[in-house]
Amino acid sequence: MRDLLLLRRRFHGEGYREGYEEGSSLGMIEGRQHGTLHGAKIGSEIGCYQGFAFAWRGLLHSCATERDSKKMKVLEALIGMIQKFPYDDPTYDKLHEDLDRIRGKFKQLCSLLNVQPDFKISTEGSGLSF
Amino acid sequence: MKDSLVLLSRILAHPDSRCWFLAWNPAGTLLASCGGDRSVRIWGREGDSWICKSVLCEGHQRTVRKVAWSPCGNYLASASFDATTCIWKKNEDDFECVTTLEGHENEVKSVAWAPSGNLLATCSRDKSVWVWEVDEEDEYECVSVLNSHTQDVKHVVWHPSQELLASASYDDTVKLYREEEDDWVCCATLEGHESTVWSLAFDPSGQRLASCSDDRTVRIWRQYLPGNEQGVACSGSEASWKCVCTLSGFHSRTIYDVAWCQLTGTLATACGDDAIRVFEEDPGSDPQQPTFSLTAHVPQAHSQDVNCSWPSGSISRLKASEPLWLWIESCFPRKCPRTSPVPKRTRRSILDLPLFGPPAFRLGERLRATGPLTLPPLTRSPW
Repeated sequence: MRDLLLLRRRFHGEGYREGYEEGSSLGMIEGRQHGTLHGAKIGSEIGCYQGFAFAWRGLLHSCATERDSKKMKVLEALIGMIQKFPYDDPTYDKLHEDLDRIRGKFKQLCSLLNVQPDFKISTEGSGLSF
Repeated sequence: MKDSLVLLSRILAHPDSRCWFLAWNPAGTLLASCGGDRSVRIWGREGDSWICKSVLCEGHQRTVRKVAWSPCGNYLASASFDATTCIWKKNEDDFECVTTLEGHENEVKSVAWAPSGNLLATCSRDKSVWVWEVDEEDEYECVSVLNSHTQDVKHVVWHPSQELLASASYDDTVKLYREEEDDWVCCATLEGHESTVWSLAFDPSGQRLASCSDDRTVRIWRQYLPGNEQGVACSGSEASWKCVCTLSGFHSRTIYDVAWCQLTGTLATACGDDAIRVFEEDPGSDPQQPTFSLTAHVPQAHSQDVNCSWPSGSISRLKASEPLWLWIESCFPRKCPRTSPVPKRTRRSILDLPLFGPPAFRLGERLRATGPLTLPPLTRSPW
């Protein structure tokens, strides 16, 4: 009788360990996929803003008016924020705060440049979606 | 002796739709209303009656949610569900749209002018608060887009004397913003409410902020500067805000609006149970832990939700015999027939001011309520 109990306990334990290991590795895979996807989304969004900012910096390079210099200031601020963002640290505690600040700065820039950001969320895959 | 509310006039302001908001101009001579018919109407007194002086209908494609007069009274901002804010310039009796502020992704919920007149704030369902600056040539420029809230932002209000902006949101918090090195940052988050914060009001001195919420409480927050005597901790050189009083148990439903009387320091609330309540601070109560008492309760002030009204100095002059009055002027839904104004001499108290929209109301002078008021049966509007 006691042997049966011990046997049961042993198999229980083994089963648990096997399950735990399998679950952990599956979890790691899923987590990695999720991270890649999510990271890619953020990366593509920030990359978009950066490209936009660089393009406009080139266009406004020969700025003359005071209004243009205001635009340049906001532009440079946006570029600065993007470059300072720690891309390799997903545990950065102000990640979402900084992302929101970048988004806000981008919207402000668009307002100053009188450009409508045309980034629509599309399910087909073409076009920008983030 | 108790004063009463006297209906001065009923106006069918926005036929076939809701009237969402009312605002008196700083001089108290004009009343701006806005509504679901996408227009803004300007009302003025002519003799004993109120007439529509102007209809501004070309500005918006959807409901106009809020209007706000600039401190100088020459400009009117209208915030709409079409995600834009129009700025109208007053030219004698006419208004001309000088610019349209775009940028929000969806419905703009509120707009507010800073006391300096140079800054404007708008907030929207897209969870952001935008700060705009206007220069002498009427050019508007976005100076900041603040994404601090995590949900729909319901209301924005400026501090009476500092360049400090407060916003209330569906995310149950109140956030304060100020300018720091050319950019606006969120300098404080006031947590405590358990549900949507609908509205905010600073007290006349600007040291305290009242917030009202869907959790049926009003909270009073006090500003503590670094190095304060009470020993309230502040981080660095930032002032901190602490909740010093919570008014709970007085309201049976969501409180949609709160107002702090600039003259007397009385607090008034407009509640989803159609009542208006007035609170006064108990004399001698500890400033760090003030207590407020309910001094007036006007139940069934509205048979349906009320929009809002700004009392006007010039209107209250008509009631010169009674120095302390509360004025509620509102617009009526289409079902209400136009009635002629009640003669001034009548001292009947009238309470039927039905409207659509969230109950909201602003107090300019102290209210003392009368005894029971008779009313038609309550019919709640779905909203």
